[in-house]
Amino acid sequence: MVSVSNVTKAFGDVVAVSDVSFTVGPGITALLGPNGAGKSTLFRMLCGLAAPTRGEVRVLGRNARTDVAVRGQIGLAPQQDALFDRLSALQFVSIAAEMHGVADPEANARRMLDFVQLPADDPKPVGSFSKGMRQRVKLATALVNDPAVLILDEPLTGLDPVQRRRMIELFNELGDAGKCLLVSSHVLDEVARLGSKVLVIAQGRLAAAGDYHDLRDLMDDRPHRIRVRVDDSRRFAAALIDRGLVDGVAIGDELEINTSDVDGFGRGVAPTARELGIRLREVAPVDDDLESVFRYLVERR
Amino acid sequence: MNGSVSSTRVIAITYRVLLRQLVTKGRVIALSLIGGVVALLGWAVGQARNDEDFLPNEIIEQIRLDDAVATVTNVGFTILVPIVSLVFAAASLGDTREDGTLVYLWLRPMQRWPIVLGAWLAAITVSLPLVVIPMSVSAYLHDVGSELVIGSALGSAIGVLAYSALFVLLGLMVKNGIVWGLAYIILWEGVVAAFGSAAAKIAMRGYTSSIVSERTGVDIDIGTLAQSTAVVVPLVVAAFALWLASVRLQNLEVA
Repeated sequence: MVSVSNVTKAFGDVVAVSDVSFTVGPGITALLGPNGAGKSTLFRMLCGLAAPTRGEVRVLGRNARTDVAVRGQIGLAPQQDALFDRLSALQFVSIAAEMHGVADPEANARRMLDFVQLPADDPKPVGSFSKGMRQRVKLATALVNDPAVLILDEPLTGLDPVQRRRMIELFNELGDAGKCLLVSSHVLDEVARLGSKVLVIAQGRLAAAGDYHDLRDLMDDRPHRIRVRVDDSRRFAAALIDRGLVDGVAIGDELEINTSDVDGFGRGVAPTARELGIRLREVAPVDDDLESVFRYLVERR
Repeated sequence: MNGSVSSTRVIAITYRVLLRQLVTKGRVIALSLIGGVVALLGWAVGQARNDEDFLPNEIIEQIRLDDAVATVTNVGFTILVPIVSLVFAAASLGDTREDGTLVYLWLRPMQRWPIVLGAWLAAITVSLPLVVIPMSVSAYLHDVGSELVIGSALGSAIGVLAYSALFVLLGLMVKNGIVWGLAYIILWEGVVAAFGSAAAKIAMRGYTSSIVSERTGVDIDIGTLAQSTAVVVPLVVAAFALWLASVRLQNLEVA
C-alpha cells in the first residue's frame, strides 16, 4: 500500500532522509527512531507535503504530491500541535470531513469524536484544549474520511495511560480491518504494544526493519555497559568474572561492567552479592537509552 | 463514502475557516484606531479655514479640495489601505504556513486555487470595511463635495482588492510576510512611487490616487491615469497575483 524507493531528502547541505527504501502493507507498522531521525520528513513525503530530493514515494500506487485524488485516501495526524485554534472540536473535524467530501460531515465528525472519547458538544475552542485533547482531535480528523492509509506522527504523545491503551486498541482494530497504519514513535515500549512490524530510522537512514521481537533480541544481544556500586568493588568484580557473568570489568569508585548476556547478568548479580555478603547499592545501565541503541543499529549496518 | 468537493464548496470552507482565524480582537481594534485617526484627520483638515479672506471663494474652495485630496492620497492610500490589507492578507495563508495548520488545507483532495481565492475573500471581507468606511468618512468630513467621497471609497476598495491579492501571495512566498510587506509599502509604495507619474505606474498608489484625481479634477503628480485604467489594471494585477499564489501553493513544501 505504501512504497518508498531509494528516497533521499536534503534541505541544503543537511540530509534529513538518506536512501531509504521499504514497502508497507495492511496492518500496523511502527516507525521507530529518536527525535530528529527523519521520521516526520519521511511522513511528509508520503503525504505529498514535501517532494523527495531523490527516489520515489508511492501511496496506493500513486504520488500524493501530484495526485489530488489519492490524498482523499490518506489520513494524517501530524506531529505539530497547531490546530485552527478558534474552532470547536466539532467544527474542526466537520470541516475536515467537508473537505474530503464526506456525506453528512457533522454526523461523521461526531462519530469520530466519540471514537476518540471527546465530547462533540463541547463549545470550547480547541485552542483551550490540553495537549492530550488536541492529540485526540488530530486523530479524529485523520480518521474522519475513513482513509485506507493512516499516517500518525507520534500519536500517543500527551495521552494519559488509559487514553494510550484505548488508542492502541483502536489502531489494532483499524489494522485488523485491513487499513495500512504507519505510526511513528521514539518510545520503544510504545512500539512493543503497537504491533510486530517495525522500521527503525536513525540519522536519516533505515537502521533496521522487520519483526519487533527480532529487533528486541538484536537490541538485547548487543554488548551492554552497566554501572554497579557495591561495598567491596574488587572482590565483587573478581566473583563476577569467576562466574562468567561479565565479559569485562573496569574497576574504579564503581564498577563498569561489559556484558553481552544482559539477562544472565541480571539473574546472577544479586545472588552473587548475597553469597559474598556484599551490599549491592546500585545497578544501572550506562547505555540503555534509545539513542545508543539506534547508534548501535546504525553502526552495525 | 467520500465524494468530490466542488470548487465553490472549497472556497466557502476556506473562507469560513480563515475568516474565523483572521478576525482577532487585537487586530480589529488596532486597525480601527488607524482608520479612526484617518477619519479624524479628515475632520481636522475640513475644519481648518484659511486666513486668505481676500481670495475669491472658488480659489479658497480649490485650496480646500487640494488639501483634502492630499490628505486622502498621502495618508489613506499610503498608510491605511496597504497596511490593513497587509495585516489580514499576509496572515490569511501565511500564518497557516508558519504555524503548521496549512497541512489541514493542503492535504485534502481539493484544487489549490479555490483555497487561495477563499483566503483572499476572507482577507478582503475584513479589510474592506476597516478601510473603506474610515476613508469615506474622512473624505466626507473634509466637506469638499461628494466626488472626493466616491473617489476615496472606490480608490480604497480597488486598493484593498489588489494589495490583498499581492499580500496573500507574499504570505506564501516568504516567512514574516508582515515585515517584508512593510518594507514594500515604505520603500516601493512610499518612496519609489513618489518619483513622479512614470514610477507611480509600477506602484499601486499611482492607480488609487488616479481614481481620486479623476473624480475630483485635482492634479496629483502620481495620479495621471484614466479612471478606467486605474480600476482595471489593479484588478488584473490582483488576478495574476492570485494565480501565482495558487501555483506557489501547489509547489509549496508544507511543514
